[in-house]
Amino acid sequence: MHEMALASNLYDQVIRIAQDQGPLTVTKIELEVGALQLVVPEAFEMAWEAIRADSPLAGAALHITEIKSSARCRHCERVFEPAIDNYLCPNCGQADAELLAGNDIILKSLVCEKEDPA
Amino acid sequence: MKIQVVESVLKANDAVAHENRRRLDRAGVRCINIMSAPGSGKTTLLEKTIPALLPDIRCAVLVGDLQTTRDAERIGKLDIPVVQINTGRGCHLDATQVTSGIAALDLRGIGFLFIENVGNMVCPAGFDLGEHARAALLSVPEGDDKVAKYPTLFQPADIILLTKVDLIGVLEYCMDRVREDLSHVNTRAPLIEFSSKTGQGMEQWLSWLRSQKR
Repeated sequence: MHEMALASNLYDQVIRIAQDQGPLTVTKIELEVGALQLVVPEAFEMAWEAIRADSPLAGAALHITEIKSSARCRHCERVFEPAIDNYLCPNCGQADAELLAGNDIILKSLVCEKEDPA
Repeated sequence: MKIQVVESVLKANDAVAHENRRRLDRAGVRCINIMSAPGSGKTTLLEKTIPALLPDIRCAVLVGDLQTTRDAERIGKLDIPVVQINTGRGCHLDATQVTSGIAALDLRGIGFLFIENVGNMVCPAGFDLGEHARAALLSVPEGDDKVAKYPTLFQPADIILLTKVDLIGVLEYCMDRVREDLSHVNTRAPLIEFSSKTGQGMEQWLSWLRSQKR
């Protein structure tokens, strides 16, 4: 259930940005999730709901897009798209892959409204 | 208004991990993050390894578990610095917990810091702790299909230990299946067939560890 830790990190990150650049009310959060990060979107959304309930982010919509994986072969430098159970380089046949994308969760953008000065 | 961010959700953890690594580098300590399922022999591996590295290399250990101090008590009998981190409901260690653990240790004269991660084949692999290398363990009783089932644990590993190999005959274990699955996942990491009972693989493991001390 590392989704809880990730959702908690996301909460802190969004609050920090909304404060630094605002104060802003966040209406939409756009996330990119890599296929290799082993995040179950349903579990992540459940964790997110628990964390953001009764918070300044309670009204923000969460939009998750899955992104393609990418790896570089340490032997021949070929960049290729690995599968979660297959990291074989299509050029040299070694499974010695440095992951470039797909093993991460990226906060891509925030849609916000300026808070009315009280 | 739309704010483009493009920032990893793990950025905060990665920054702390980077700082941990710098701190360990300054102290001349190499850190090995040991990951596996519960019960595959992480604590036993450390109980055998730490005395074997003496007297030339002294070690310290951070142990992660949901509950209890049992592993720390076992390792503490070796009379080395050890800190137990209880994660409560947490399924993995994160870099901040390791920072606290390191702060509680006297690193003077320490060559290796071993982090015994929470027993779990999924979650720990996603979190950089500031280690220099990752060791993944797979024990024979877990079955010969686990590399294929949990590839994300084995893909980033720098060394893989197949533990409890003294049970291979008893359990009709298929080594070829493990090797075949690893050939798609990780051909970089050495695979050591290890038994803490018979001592098989110990010299290979110690030699790999010594090669990590630059």
